[in-house]
Amino acid sequence: MKKYDVVIVGAGMAGLTAAIYVARAGKSVLVLEGTMHGGQIINTIKIQNWPGDFEVSGADLMNKIYHQANNLGAEVEYEEVVKISENRGDGGFVVETNENEYACRAVILATGTEPRRLSEKQAADAGSRPISYCATCDGALYKGKPVVVVGSGNTAKHEMKYLEGICSKVHHIHHDDPIPADAEAVFVAIGRVPNTKVLKDFVELDKDGYVVAGEDCKTSRSGVFVAGDCRTKSARQLVTAAGDGAIAAGAVVEYLK
Amino acid sequence: MEVLDFYADWCGPCQMMKPVVEEFKEAHPEVKVRAVNIDEEEELAAEYRVSSIPCLVVLKDGKEVNRSVGVMPLKKLEKLAEV
Repeated sequence: MKKYDVVIVGAGMAGLTAAIYVARAGKSVLVLEGTMHGGQIINTIKIQNWPGDFEVSGADLMNKIYHQANNLGAEVEYEEVVKISENRGDGGFVVETNENEYACRAVILATGTEPRRLSEKQAADAGSRPISYCATCDGALYKGKPVVVVGSGNTAKHEMKYLEGICSKVHHIHHDDPIPADAEAVFVAIGRVPNTKVLKDFVELDKDGYVVAGEDCKTSRSGVFVAGDCRTKSARQLVTAAGDGAIAAGAVVEYLK
Repeated sequence: MEVLDFYADWCGPCQMMKPVVEEFKEAHPEVKVRAVNIDEEEELAAEYRVSSIPCLVVLKDGKEVNRSVGVMPLKKLEKLAEV
């Protein structure tokens, strides 16, 4: 089994920032990512609140940070973490993925959030019609066609406004309404949920599934830290994710002393 | 073997796939990769029933054998294309 000082779960802004700091502190670090590095922000074409850049795309920004972490010696593997447990005997941890097992002395959880999925009832109602969680990604595929937006928050309103410029008709329904018969695609914007399913019996989660930790990024388990959007916090922004990454990395380095 | 890479300029995840597809092309010059801008080639996108992008369709002898929607790293693209 390969062994690292630190395993970071998630290669979004929080995870990659933590990787930069941990690598710069001279520790060996592996970042595990289930899909693609970059995280949620890659869906954004124009970021205008990242200090230092008037405007930058999520993809460009995250690719730069990925290469920076890589150049500093952080390793990145594209494997999905399925279980984390304590390593009986040496006080460290074992991180299991769909392909491998890794041993480490400390863990940083930076798993982020994902869109809340359509309810089973509505998904059944949608049948074989495409379901999209990103209007700016898929809207143009339904030019001049009727679609429906599910959701009542700000994101749903924003998606509707965007789609109204493209589609012939944009229906708006809530999370328990039937899907209109004429809608050719279903755009879902009913909030986000933390990616913490595999952490349920490992660290304390709040009722919504977020990893419980204060600004010190320390979880309920010694040696396990949390950074970014999957942590209980008030502001989920790109800069606060980066900030968490630095704090969690500092705490890890202190823990490893 | 051919890979159709359905994308659009306004799609963030498609931007993320660009360097991955470039790397793939360099590593596998024997595979023909065709970038399809869905705004310019609406008919082709409709023909392949592309409902979400980025969408990569793998063709063998002109027939679809595999497809994947969403971003992915190089090793998963290689697996998809079976190279």
